[in-house]
Amino acid sequence: VFWTSFEFPIFIVVNEVNFVRKCISTENNQEGLWGKLICTNFKVSFIPQDTSPKQKSTLSHLLLGEHDIPLTCLEQVVTVNDTKGKKKVLGSNQKLKFNPTELILYCKDLRMIRFCFEEAGPESARKVCLAIAHYSHPADLQLLFGFEYQGRRYHESKGNERVNGSTPRGLQTPIFDRSSDWDREIKRTNASEWRVCSINQSYTVSSSLPEHIVVPSSLTDQDLMQYASSFTDRRIPMWCWSHSNGSALVRMASLTDPLQLKKTEQKIFAAITKSHPQRNEPFRSDLDKSLPSILDIQSAFVKLRQICILDPFEESEERWLSTIENSRWLEYVRAFLKHSAEMVYHLEGGNSSVILQEEEDRDLNCVVSALMQLMLDPRYRSLIGFQSLVQKEWVMAGHRFLDRCNHLKKNDKEESPLFLLFLDCVWQIMNQYPAAFEFTETYLTVLSDSMWIPLFSTFLFSSSKQRAQHLMDFAKHKAIPQGEDQVVYFPPVWEWSQQFSTKDQTLFNNPMYVGKGAACVQNGEVKTFKRKKAYSSTLRGTPTNLRNGVKGGEESLTRRSSLANELKSELTPVKDLSPSERFFKDWFSRPADLQGLLIPLLMPSHMAFWKLFFLRWVPEACISKGGPVTTYHKLSQLVDEIEILQSQLRQYKGTSPGNTPLTSSGGNPTDQRRMYFQASSPDDPSTPPECLTSSFPFTPTGNLSRRTVQGTPISKFLNGARIWLSTETLANDTV
Amino acid sequence: MEHIRLPKVENVKLLDRISHRRRRVGTLYLTATHTIFVESEAGVRNETWVLHSLVCSVDKLAATPSGCPLLIHCKNFQVLHFIISKEQECHDIHLSLQRLSQPESYDELYCFSYKPNVDEKERRQEWDFLDLKADYSRMGLPSSLWKLSPVNQHYKVSDTYPADLFVPESATPPVIVGSSKFRSRGRFPALSYYCKDNHAAICRSSQPLSGFSARCLEDEQMLEAILRSNPCSDFMYVVDTRPKLNAIANRAAGKGYENEDNYSNIKFQFVGIENIHVMRNSQQKMLEVCELRSPSMSDFLEGLESSGWLKHIKAVLDAGIFIAKAVAEEGVSVLIHCSDGWDRTSQVCSVACVLLDPYYRTLRGFMVLIEKDWVSFGHKFSHRCKHVVGDPKEVSPIIDQLLECVWQLMEQFPCAFEFNERFLITIHNHFYSCQFGNFIGNNQRERIELRVHERTHSLWSYLWANRTDYTNPLYRPNHSQTQGLLRASTSPYSFKFWKGLYNRFDHGMHPRQSVEDYLRAIQEETQQLEEQLSSHTQAIGVTEIAENLMLAIIKQCFGACYVAAE
Repeated sequence: VFWTSFEFPIFIVVNEVNFVRKCISTENNQEGLWGKLICTNFKVSFIPQDTSPKQKSTLSHLLLGEHDIPLTCLEQVVTVNDTKGKKKVLGSNQKLKFNPTELILYCKDLRMIRFCFEEAGPESARKVCLAIAHYSHPADLQLLFGFEYQGRRYHESKGNERVNGSTPRGLQTPIFDRSSDWDREIKRTNASEWRVCSINQSYTVSSSLPEHIVVPSSLTDQDLMQYASSFTDRRIPMWCWSHSNGSALVRMASLTDPLQLKKTEQKIFAAITKSHPQRNEPFRSDLDKSLPSILDIQSAFVKLRQICILDPFEESEERWLSTIENSRWLEYVRAFLKHSAEMVYHLEGGNSSVILQEEEDRDLNCVVSALMQLMLDPRYRSLIGFQSLVQKEWVMAGHRFLDRCNHLKKNDKEESPLFLLFLDCVWQIMNQYPAAFEFTETYLTVLSDSMWIPLFSTFLFSSSKQRAQHLMDFAKHKAIPQGEDQVVYFPPVWEWSQQFSTKDQTLFNNPMYVGKGAACVQNGEVKTFKRKKAYSSTLRGTPTNLRNGVKGGEESLTRRSSLANELKSELTPVKDLSPSERFFKDWFSRPADLQGLLIPLLMPSHMAFWKLFFLRWVPEACISKGGPVTTYHKLSQLVDEIEILQSQLRQYKGTSPGNTPLTSSGGNPTDQRRMYFQASSPDDPSTPPECLTSSFPFTPTGNLSRRTVQGTPISKFLNGARIWLSTETLANDTV
Repeated sequence: MEHIRLPKVENVKLLDRISHRRRRVGTLYLTATHTIFVESEAGVRNETWVLHSLVCSVDKLAATPSGCPLLIHCKNFQVLHFIISKEQECHDIHLSLQRLSQPESYDELYCFSYKPNVDEKERRQEWDFLDLKADYSRMGLPSSLWKLSPVNQHYKVSDTYPADLFVPESATPPVIVGSSKFRSRGRFPALSYYCKDNHAAICRSSQPLSGFSARCLEDEQMLEAILRSNPCSDFMYVVDTRPKLNAIANRAAGKGYENEDNYSNIKFQFVGIENIHVMRNSQQKMLEVCELRSPSMSDFLEGLESSGWLKHIKAVLDAGIFIAKAVAEEGVSVLIHCSDGWDRTSQVCSVACVLLDPYYRTLRGFMVLIEKDWVSFGHKFSHRCKHVVGDPKEVSPIIDQLLECVWQLMEQFPCAFEFNERFLITIHNHFYSCQFGNFIGNNQRERIELRVHERTHSLWSYLWANRTDYTNPLYRPNHSQTQGLLRASTSPYSFKFWKGLYNRFDHGMHPRQSVEDYLRAIQEETQQLEEQLSSHTQAIGVTEIAENLMLAIIKQCFGACYVAAE
């Protein structure tokens, strides 16, 4: 074991083997790539012999090379000996009785990678395989590389960054670990009947709640202390958000004390009612009864992964739709969206507060409360807003990321991709309202991948308390002064500059987003564009002047009829519709306001399959020069040009004699371009990168084509036994 | 008018398809050409017009306490569910509509009575808008390798073929006539597309009358001539678009497919596209899925899969890709046929052309393509679209499948097509509407007899005049993405359900926002910007030259949108 202290960041190289062949999916390269396979304490690296210049059109990670896989990202390590016909799924500290001829790595980000050892030394190949298996099963959370890495990083950067006082972009995201963050939310949503309560300081009341929560103003700390004991893990019901009509969204665990149940419930409900301006009774929804369980979701995901990544492509071809349906993933996505939309109706249409109840209040509630807020509040559709939403409803609310991600691979039964399910739901809304979100599907995909890079505090822990404890031990261990903000020494994932260059981060920006910030200068004032017309579905597929021919044919009537519906609903309410039906009907008959409530369409034909996430590594699904990215490319260039023009306009404005120069223009526009694809100059006609594919900014090339692994059915491996052993034994093995 | 038993019924209810509890009440009128429903509530006059020729079926359901339901299915996938209070009235409407929607002769068709406010000279010009000869000369024809043959003048050799056809330079009239006698309905091999860069050609024909052992010297010479017209290649593909079993079954009837032993240097290939009956049933099943009122995820996905529709679309696209690759990458000529060579053959020729040649991905190019491979080569529009009463077994959505193949490609390559989804949907509507003369009859000869060009209007010039509605703002012709062979994916994940067409009348079913809408909105913002710019420049006193410069930049920036506006 040695330290490569000359380079930063540092990894410990545990083991390495030369003359390894990586099987990749290019058509012309039967041989694959030759190079060195290295296992470090952070990642599995592969360094090809010919370092051909990397195409700089795909996302490049600052800490991970094209062929690298973080150890935390490994789902399963499988060794095979072709000649003996043996296979073994490797856990930690297991014995391997044969010399492997190949190694197959199944990754949590759905990659599948295969290395062959026919030219490598059999003993070193065996050792590398064992090392990878061992290091991907850390005995303890503190052994995850993030602790090592952030400790070093803290000390090396000490005195540089913080003296400058420049806050990284990610740190604009409120973390909700202090009462002021909650206070700001209360003020922003005008929730005057609610207050921040800090009785859980030092986690004395509940081990899974954050230190500060928001509760009805009418309840005293004493009341809350008393009620807390009735709830699972003493979780006091927690405010999430308030509507402008005064209705609040509250999440709550189930009551455990049968004697106090009715009484406590009544008190809590009365307090929530009291916090409502019209004293409306809250509406309660029991999510355990109406939504799929975490086990259902996990099994759906496992099936879907099987279909997308592992099954021989030819077999699923005929039955693609029914195999997708068989996984039930889309059905679950739809169920969560549908339930969230119904809850939104009660809040917005029914004007009553909504209480989401779930046994532990740490899983399904996270999905539904976050989705509801995303539909209701445009703030959360901005990048910083979305991050604060995840921080508030997932991280601080105590979603058990450590268990659900199964980072320590200790308990498979707790594993469930709830956060991914949430991201898929977000993607569905984004797919229907492409201009409503500041961020892109690339952002969502990268965010999900970040769950498997153990360098950030966001996805490593199961509660605030656990985070605080681990970070305290860590700070002590690394001699970090007390009182230092943990964000500084163990940053959240929101500090994207740790992973990506500023240029690559622009892939997160949606060119179509027209947020509140989109402004333009008119008559010396900054003016936000107001659309003269609202474009909605009724304009699609209905040419305006077709009636030329069809004598006022049916084509021209669609717009009139939607107008009529709107008028009718205002004048004479249709009696036989249920209130929620009427609410949705009215909403859909009006043009969508992207700065207001957004409700997704939920017929089965509207549920789409998230190709970028699920199929980006699959060569057969990759469309060269096609896919949604071609639209993204073109729109980005267009927006870039608009922004250049706008800044030029501002300069004209600034130099004009009658006006004072504007100071708001943010410096030289060519330095800080918001778009990844930039407008070309007139002399240089734009040629899109040749490698623009439907997988962009990812590429399936470095991964395995499924055609080449037929006959190694993964299903056997996926259920392979996992044996847990301590670290020490391996150290002997490797030195 | 004599077919209208009852011109007007009051107090008729029109039910919403998604939720039967939503209904509109109004008056139903029958005119010579349209069914009109006028909503009488809410103070706003709201009309629904349905052309009789678009009505596919009219069904009277069992009477209920609230009235007698009348269900109208249209060929453009509109479904109207009326409730008429009196059974007798419903009966009269039912009978009238049944008759009105099923013309017994071509002369009853709407195109012969449709008279927009256009004078005769303009009407004639409409028909000059597209010229197929211009497309052939765009391909570089006639040339030293391919010639225009007069052999089918007056439709003497094949009465379902066009009069003007391109054949290999070395094919003599006796060879052509001999070959035509050995092909179903005399449809001998003729040129559909020629790639002037590498001389590879796509030819089409009907099946040979080979039976179990029959041969025809002229037919063999004809194929030889096609091969020789491609000097760079020493073999050619013969693609039978049918499943092998169907082709074998045809041998018993004295038809069949080419025997590789009898023809020199051919490679024979089946591609397995099902016949018109399978396609008709498949679409029917898919439409039943579309009509489910509140389907579950599995109702929808399993229903869609068991309809087999997307599988058939994939089969057509796969065949097109095979041929496009043969032409573009191998430089090999291809002869395509099915049974009669007017259904699957037309589909596959067109799909290959769209993949191969960016011209066919433009507005005008796509019109030319339909005119070439479908109208002129005798796709039986009137039979397949049931323009007049006839054998229901002849009806089949073959042309729908072409549009859907193109739509699937547009979804994969959003910037590669000059036209948008609306363009395809409008064309689809008019295949069936009989409003324009383009698709009346089953072949060129019938259209001449009906004097379609003298008596009706042309869809193509209508579409061209309204092209701003049909332009894809993302399209830029000089982009590398829009040029060359499209490398489409036909993996199952690449196929989507086309709700824009099959659910086009279900409002509230469509995405509430699209990239296209967004671009149209940007267009407005540009105009605002321009207005501001001019006011600024005036205020600042910048010279006129600088102003024009800025305007030029803005215009260039929104070039895509301006294509739409011009």
